[in-house]
Amino acid sequence: MFDRVEAFYRPGTVREALRLLQNGKNRARVVAGGTDLVVEADRSIRFLIDITHAGLSYIRRRGKACVIGATTTMATLENSPAIRALAGGILARAAATCGSVQIRNMATLGGNLANGSPAADTATPLLALDAEVVLADARGRRKIPLTAFYSGLRKTAPGKALLIEVVIPALPRGGRWSFQKLGRTESDISLVNAAAGLQLDSKGRAKWARIALGAVAPTPIRAVNAEKLLVGRKVDESTLAEVCDQVAREVQPITDVRASAEYRREMCRVLVRRALEECAAGTGCSL
Amino acid sequence: MKAMEVRLNVNGEAKQWTIAPGDLLLDVLRREGYFGVKRGCEAGECGACTVLLDGKPINSCLMFAAQAEGADVLTIEGVAHGSTLHPLQEAFLDHGAVQCGFCTPAMILNAKALLDRKPHPSEEEVREALAGTYCRCTGFRKPVEAVLAAAGAKR
Amino acid sequence: MSSGRTVVGHNVRKVEGVKLVTGGPAFTDDIQLPGLLYGKILPSPYAHARIKRIDTRKAKALPGVHAVLTYKNVPRVPHTTAGQAWPEPSPYDTYLLDSKVRFVGDRVAAVAAESRAIAEKALRLIEVEYDVLPAVLDMEQAMAPGAAVIHDEPDSKGIYDASRNIAGYILRGIGDVDQGFRDSDRIFEREYRTQRQQHCPLEPHITISWLDGDGRLVIRTSTQVPYHSRRQVAMILQIPVSRIHVIKPRMGGGFGGKQEMLLEDICGALALAARRPVKIEYTREEEFYMARTRHPQILRMKMGVKRDGTILASQLTVVATTGAYGSHSTTVQGNTGSKVLPLYRAEHMRFECHVVYTNTPVAGAFRGYGCPQGFFAQETLVDEIANDLGIDPVEFHRQNVIRLGDTDRLSAQLGEGKEGLPRIVRSCGLPECLDRAAAAIGWTGKRQALPAAGHLKRGVGMACTMQGSGIAGIDWASAFLKMNEDGSFFLQTGAADVGGGADTVLSQIAAETLGVSLDKIVITSGDTDTTPFDVGAYASSTTIISGGAVKKAAEKVREQVLRMAAKMLDTPVENLTCGDNRVSAVGKSATMTEIALHSMYKEKTQIMDGASHFNTDSPPPFCATFAEVEVDTETGKVRVLHMATAVDPGTAINPAQAEGQVEGAVAQGLGYALTEELVLDGAGRPLNPNFLDYKIFGAKDMPKLTTILVETDEPLGPYGAKSISEVPINGPAPAIANAIFHAIGVRFRKLPIRPEDVLRALREKETVADDQCV
Repeated sequence: MFDRVEAFYRPGTVREALRLLQNGKNRARVVAGGTDLVVEADRSIRFLIDITHAGLSYIRRRGKACVIGATTTMATLENSPAIRALAGGILARAAATCGSVQIRNMATLGGNLANGSPAADTATPLLALDAEVVLADARGRRKIPLTAFYSGLRKTAPGKALLIEVVIPALPRGGRWSFQKLGRTESDISLVNAAAGLQLDSKGRAKWARIALGAVAPTPIRAVNAEKLLVGRKVDESTLAEVCDQVAREVQPITDVRASAEYRREMCRVLVRRALEECAAGTGCSL
Repeated sequence: MKAMEVRLNVNGEAKQWTIAPGDLLLDVLRREGYFGVKRGCEAGECGACTVLLDGKPINSCLMFAAQAEGADVLTIEGVAHGSTLHPLQEAFLDHGAVQCGFCTPAMILNAKALLDRKPHPSEEEVREALAGTYCRCTGFRKPVEAVLAAAGAKR
Repeated sequence: MSSGRTVVGHNVRKVEGVKLVTGGPAFTDDIQLPGLLYGKILPSPYAHARIKRIDTRKAKALPGVHAVLTYKNVPRVPHTTAGQAWPEPSPYDTYLLDSKVRFVGDRVAAVAAESRAIAEKALRLIEVEYDVLPAVLDMEQAMAPGAAVIHDEPDSKGIYDASRNIAGYILRGIGDVDQGFRDSDRIFEREYRTQRQQHCPLEPHITISWLDGDGRLVIRTSTQVPYHSRRQVAMILQIPVSRIHVIKPRMGGGFGGKQEMLLEDICGALALAARRPVKIEYTREEEFYMARTRHPQILRMKMGVKRDGTILASQLTVVATTGAYGSHSTTVQGNTGSKVLPLYRAEHMRFECHVVYTNTPVAGAFRGYGCPQGFFAQETLVDEIANDLGIDPVEFHRQNVIRLGDTDRLSAQLGEGKEGLPRIVRSCGLPECLDRAAAAIGWTGKRQALPAAGHLKRGVGMACTMQGSGIAGIDWASAFLKMNEDGSFFLQTGAADVGGGADTVLSQIAAETLGVSLDKIVITSGDTDTTPFDVGAYASSTTIISGGAVKKAAEKVREQVLRMAAKMLDTPVENLTCGDNRVSAVGKSATMTEIALHSMYKEKTQIMDGASHFNTDSPPPFCATFAEVEVDTETGKVRVLHMATAVDPGTAINPAQAEGQVEGAVAQGLGYALTEELVLDGAGRPLNPNFLDYKIFGAKDMPKLTTILVETDEPLGPYGAKSISEVPINGPAPAIANAIFHAIGVRFRKLPIRPEDVLRALREKETVADDQCV
């Protein structure tokens, strides 16, 4: 499958990785966990650049932000006390649903995002967390919102840039969180996944809200209009119904062998409702 | 295509192999005679190719051999000590957890990684550990029982 | 049942277990041959096409390519790939390579090259121009006037009506169903649909072939049918049987998918052409659409009952598709009638079936062999009838099921490709199976429980099923035993252990009969050079048929051992017994080692003997399957909470292995019920030929399993054994469908029962209810 690969590099720094990426032109590909890349089996690849030794495996606090290196594995996220404590553990929980134990020991956060899959399980909680990604290229580093990172189906911003880290900014005080996933079996790619964040005021009205969904549009998305609808309202039965209706209008699911568009749209309602109910109840994610 | 060298430890033995840069770890291990590493789907779904890399289960079908540079690889061939079977191997035999045996190496390695990290797991944790290994023969009850029994025996 | 027995009935370890848990070389691919070439098949991209032009010059010219085969340079011999006894009842409609392709994945050409990469490149270099033909994908359209004819070649044989795409037709019955329906108080009739399920053995099909030092063709292959494959390859490649040596190493699962001569012919042809060893292994994707599947069926089931619940008449009308080739076409479908309808004592039965060709992946043998489809229809309908009549389904079954001493007359009408033999129930643990599985699931309490509030609804359902144990009058086996100096015995059998533990069971039977411990039996199996004939591993036959042969052979050898011991101990044979690795009489004994040494070096006699065995009846194992489910009425997802399966396998020679067979079958049955389906697009291309999108049950999906062995003593089986590997796969789908009905009041008559279908049905039910309120 990879018989045309001419060289395998293992750069020790991001700078070295970028230089190799530059030199390899269109025929160089970055490999981290490899769990998507190997299955894709792109025959045009001539150079593989393994970035798992480039110093990008870390989880750090930087000021009020939480910073995660791109090659941090799903298993590390899932087991990290810091990530389990962050935002009700929604990112840890999402990471824990990313394939089997073996996959989670290999797959990386950066890979999950850079692969550009609309079903990426970590993307939805990160969208709900207003995460940003740091890209590096020959000119330097820049930080962009995750929403801007995705440009279309399986398309992401980098080009020649390398996704090196994910930044989760300070969270709203008293935030409540939920992550929901629906698959055909216990270990499955998401048919639909959803993440929600909610901050309530003293009267129980939504002061701040985030609703993100995966596998129901060309990219993971935020249901921005549904969020707007929710803010300022009490999270009761009629609000939830309206919000879920709005969510169903904002998603653009497709029909494929996994599920029909109608079913996915319907499940967006169910999952968002469950997520918001869980947030409102304040029970959070259980790990 | 250029050849390259990879140095790694397999089952405690230092190895240096000449590989192609695009070679996958599964292919190289089988080529070197580690037949316990099985080819089941080549897409990281069935788990039959599982080996432990620095103690953690991974799918060798999804990893380039070059990525194993400097790593400790454990295959099923390295689990027993000479002719003394590992408690998991004994338990799999005693509990009728082996049918065709094709997925057995992967199940045992996944279970070993779990027990090394967590000597007394719950049934749920055992099932999670085995969830990445498809078995079409057993229905999983006996393998799960075998792992729990092996954990109990180590107590 | 193990009273007094020292090996049979005991949970001994699997005889080859240590090799498997330590990863020793065991499977077909676990050898390294110098000069091994990689074989690869070019699959058809079209569902139906003629090859107008095929040019292999570029592929042949590629360095590292050693053979390229197309229909132009191989023999054209019509045959079936079904691994069945000669003469096979399946049509001879298949060719090693043909100028016409009949499904996406059909063979266009084959290459052998120095590496997988070169072989794949060579395939890309083969230029093919197709004349694309209209394809028949829908089995209901296949027989319609004007449908494209899939087998228009003149040389195929045994097709029922090629011009109408009918591979086979079956019409059989007993009594007078029309009269039966007239005499009935109530008549129920429903249509059911089942899907294309794939076996998914963890080891895909693989064959390695080479010429040995004497120029004989060696075929090392993962097969359930070594002897049938040898015979078929000889015919196809036009070489004598004696010039072929088939070796079956350990197998990574078969489930019927390897009761098929699938790669052996093409791999052998490549090895002959290249004069080098060649390996062909299917990738997982190829396994999904280029191997075999279960036959999809549309079943119309009609039953007539008296008001008290007595079934008077049953009629099953089936359309099934065998895909592009008729492998196992009439035999699988025959089973849908002969092993399903006679579960009940109705006097009038009628079974009619059209098996049609379509331009879809080929169906074949698959654990259950036509029964999962039939029982899904019958047991779902019976549940509907019982509910409608206000009778508890368990009670309804007790009232109607076949009993000890009954004769199943439909089986006499429906044999393997011809008239069969009547089946007499000589052992039957079904009533106890019903009682114990019902108790395990908590039937009575849960049937009466009030529905829960909220979106999670629970329900319980059940089904009864049966199967056979070998094909009556057709399946036969032989075994050979010889004694060694150390008092051990070599056991040679052509039986093919698929992975389920046949080698262990056969060794146990030999050890028990000879009165030795299991370690004194060294088994060789599934090798056509060194073991005697056996039809192979299918039709739940190995324990009863191969085991019967082993027992007979062991009895003959025991006789020789006793005679030898009688001389040594100067005691009449009738005063001697075998046991504990010795022959004993009152006050004296000789160890097996002493007897062996005496025989070989004093008497110059090799103690050895062989025997053949077959049955004229196929004793049915019985099974009661109970399921508890929880339906999420918001997502439509069905979570199976508990499966309680009680099986009457006769004597369980190795109870732990028997339980393993049940649980594996239940797992496959759960997938069949809820998640598994190979889906084709409008052009006949598979949409989910991978484990990412073809979902089988994993460790976290499996519910709690309760497995109960209800042992009986079958007069026709060795030590009272019948069979166990197939029967438990039949029950999960109907039991789950019935449990879902109990939970949410909706009937499902199409498999798999997907969350979307559940949700849609719930919505429709609500709509109907709302309308009724208005």
